[in-house]
Amino acid sequence: MTFISRRDLLKRAAVVGVAPVAGTFQSRDDRGAESPALHEPGVARPFQGRDRAREPLENLTAGEMDILDAVVARLIPTDANGPGATEARAAHYIDRALGGALASSRPAYTSGLAALDRYARSSRGAAFTQLSATDQNSVLIDVETGAATGFTGSSAAFFALLLNHTHQGTFGDPYYGGNANFVGWDLISYPGVRTMVTAADQQQLEKHALKPNHKSAYETDMFTKATARLEDESLPRLDARDSDAKAEV
Amino acid sequence: MSRWPVAFLCVGLLGARAAAQTPQTITVESPTLKADQPIPRDYTADGRNVSPPLTWAGVPAAAKQLAVVLQDPDAGNPPPFVHWVIYKIPPTAKGLPENVPFEPDTPMPPEIAGAIQGVSGFRRPIYRGPAPPPGKVHHYHFVVYALDAALDLKPGLNRVELLEAIKGHVVGQGELVATYERKP
Amino acid sequence: MATTLKETDVVIIGLGAVGGVAALPLTQAGIEVVGLEAGTWLTRRDFAPDELRNNYRGWPQGVQKANQEIPTSRATASSPTAPRGTIHPMQNAVGGTSLHYWAQSWRLNPWDFKVVSETTRRYGAGRIPKGSTVEDWPFGLEEIEPYYDKVEYEVGVSGQAGNIDGKIDPRGNKFEGPRKRAYPMPPLRGNEFLDKMAGAARSLGWHPFPGPAAVNSRSYQNRSACMYHGFCNRGGCHVDAKNSTAVTTIPRAQATGKLKVVTSAHVTTIEVGSDGLPSGVNYLTDGVEYFQPAKVVLLAGYTYENVRLLLLSTSKAFPDGLSNNHHQVGRHYFSHHQGAGVSALFPFNINAWYGLPAQGIAVDNWADDNFDHGTLDFIGGGNLWVYSDRRPIGAAGMNTFGRVPNWGSQWKAFIKENADRSNTSYIQKSTLPYEDNFLDLDPVVKDPLGYPVCRVTAEYKENERRIAAYTQDKMEQWYREAGAIAVQRGPVGGAMGVSTHAYGGTRMGDNPETNVVNRWGFSHEAPNLGVLGASVMGTSGAHNPTLTAQALAWRTAERLVKNFNGIARRRS
Repeated sequence: MTFISRRDLLKRAAVVGVAPVAGTFQSRDDRGAESPALHEPGVARPFQGRDRAREPLENLTAGEMDILDAVVARLIPTDANGPGATEARAAHYIDRALGGALASSRPAYTSGLAALDRYARSSRGAAFTQLSATDQNSVLIDVETGAATGFTGSSAAFFALLLNHTHQGTFGDPYYGGNANFVGWDLISYPGVRTMVTAADQQQLEKHALKPNHKSAYETDMFTKATARLEDESLPRLDARDSDAKAEV
Repeated sequence: MSRWPVAFLCVGLLGARAAAQTPQTITVESPTLKADQPIPRDYTADGRNVSPPLTWAGVPAAAKQLAVVLQDPDAGNPPPFVHWVIYKIPPTAKGLPENVPFEPDTPMPPEIAGAIQGVSGFRRPIYRGPAPPPGKVHHYHFVVYALDAALDLKPGLNRVELLEAIKGHVVGQGELVATYERKP
Repeated sequence: MATTLKETDVVIIGLGAVGGVAALPLTQAGIEVVGLEAGTWLTRRDFAPDELRNNYRGWPQGVQKANQEIPTSRATASSPTAPRGTIHPMQNAVGGTSLHYWAQSWRLNPWDFKVVSETTRRYGAGRIPKGSTVEDWPFGLEEIEPYYDKVEYEVGVSGQAGNIDGKIDPRGNKFEGPRKRAYPMPPLRGNEFLDKMAGAARSLGWHPFPGPAAVNSRSYQNRSACMYHGFCNRGGCHVDAKNSTAVTTIPRAQATGKLKVVTSAHVTTIEVGSDGLPSGVNYLTDGVEYFQPAKVVLLAGYTYENVRLLLLSTSKAFPDGLSNNHHQVGRHYFSHHQGAGVSALFPFNINAWYGLPAQGIAVDNWADDNFDHGTLDFIGGGNLWVYSDRRPIGAAGMNTFGRVPNWGSQWKAFIKENADRSNTSYIQKSTLPYEDNFLDLDPVVKDPLGYPVCRVTAEYKENERRIAAYTQDKMEQWYREAGAIAVQRGPVGGAMGVSTHAYGGTRMGDNPETNVVNRWGFSHEAPNLGVLGASVMGTSGAHNPTLTAQALAWRTAERLVKNFNGIARRRS
């Protein structure tokens, strides 16, 4: 019997979510805004769905996942600066977390994703997944600013939830199902979880010479994996120490 | 040679300065907006939320640069709520085309090459149309400013900062007012 | 029907930062102590370097008792109540919040003990802010110095002394009050960015120095030195280098054989005997009721719970709450003004992925009364603190300084370049008590057992808001001197809200009309009741409360050791 290390398991789990075609994120170029020649404002373009077998859903419906996939692809797009939330499998993170730590947000997703799609249809004339990237961005701006209609409460609150969870799914420990292949950590050049950082390591970092180690906190058995079912509000801030100074614009 | 021609010359110059302090009226129109009429849906958050086309006339010959602000005096704390700030528009422009790009990688149409969008009340440097709280008619003022100099305006100015920067340079001004209401 | 347990000498409610300290001198003197802790033991295996869990899922507070009792809050008595938070600032565990706090470990400045008399002497009595109920502490720094020293060595604090017996060492804080000897360990290491900030401060003519931390800078007491792994912010320590009471004073107290630690003990009320004195503590474990009789009760549940338990413990002798016949319980409350921070964007990487919030550079030139307030319109000041602390999800959510939206391709390009280029400073400000700011019981909201939760009624007053604006100016100046290309400031402060630094509510002072406990920390009205924690502190100074609260706790415990028979309740 072949021994499969935990790291390999993690890697394989991540690979399942990515298109089997080489040069994956190049095929998504036309969904981004970085190529003016391909970009014609106002022209509806069909959604470039996943070119791979659908991964098993844990809490979202297939329709909800399609919308969420399309949303996260706009929030942290795949573009000239590399892979984004799609490759990081941020939507999968959210799907999984909705059955656990983010369970109290499940109703918000049910109503919010439906409202987002309804708003896309009524304002832009097509389902969110069928809109061009430009129109999707325009819809999301209206959701973000609270200009969109048809949401329970302000659409801005749902947008903030989506964005926070997309960050978690892109930049959190891969143990939770996101940040696949450490795509998120690589984007921001985070050199990785280390249980020991010597002065020499710090100096290497300062010389831009500390290579990312691509490790999850749970690579080994060193730590217990207790998690909490907890209300996950947008970035709990008990005291201002933990927050950036937010300017009142 | 009498003093009179010199005096006339001085008065003439003074008169020209006085004219600069009362801006010449610009007429602002649109192929798709009518004054005091509801704005078509596609220029609002109920539709495609793209900027409407504007045309203007009566821009003084001395104008070197134009700016446009869209504001709603029926909203904002304090009012007006600002929907759009766009400046450094070339003086040769006869208006604004429909759907001025909101994505940064898309260049401005050639007739308004060089124009910059400032920061609106939605905290974005783009056009965002009416999205009023339901139950009340709001008025949307498309205000056009003609400036006597090609000012080196920085990106990211909001309405207040723009007005401060163009103070003393406004040689022409006009507006088109249209309405919008969301039903409860 | 509650099960009555065998009487103990002392029962301590809460084995956190201060209850955990008091247990040691008591047990070392042979006194029998029962420590009732609502939480459980956590160990280094429970402290994974996991940002999601520690910083975004509020683990482990989310599953704990305190989370059912989060206080409500409002700015003033005529304001609406703010929406309640979902995570309590304090942790229930053996060691309490000292398991995961930032572990900065400051002594107060001499001025902090004498705000009234010193302000009057230097600027005139008219400079005491209107509406403040501030009093001088019943003693000065000299009285508490030996206890600061005791705790620093017993628990392990690393730092650089600035004033040893009056001799100033410029490597340390030249403004600090005199201390007897150096710290037991040198300060935590620096790094390139901190060196740069220190250099910038010196260019401005200021006096930067590394801050003190209850974190091992080298191996101490057979525990490891800090690993600087970057998950110290709301995380416990995986190598026991963060010197919580769980890895220091509590195990040592247990080793005497005199400390009984009871975990999952949910204290509900303090019982008062027919002699009108506290006779013990009622608590629940797994729904079963117990009564723990004791000769002395020490309350160490953090400010909100200290006040709440007193107000809930009514009796014939104390109809308005234990020790509340003078109606001072809940009064002179304040949340430390530690917000109104300043953030900066630099055109180079800060390399802050590793480090810890206690690893930093402080400037105390603008703290407390370290500078001349003659022409200013406030008293007090703030400690400016820059530190090395960053994790990925937090970095992704960084302030974009108005340069790009918060998502999309522009954002992505921005974050790729700037994720490690911002720094946010922490500015702790002198805060005073006011007539208008107080704690009481919420008239409506209850915990799952049906007891009212605590209610905070408090806002930052003009004096503290002016300190905030002034120190923001200084901080911006500092950042720009170091090369920052953009700076943003938080709002200067409105409602105080529920805080990790909560003071007052059981203030300490000689006057029983205006203070709940006497100069030793024992209730004026109920002499065998002692209170531990920042709830006894009457001013905050520009530094965090933990070391001071721990030093006071040691002092209270030592007083009890020396006067046990005089303080303890005698059975009739």
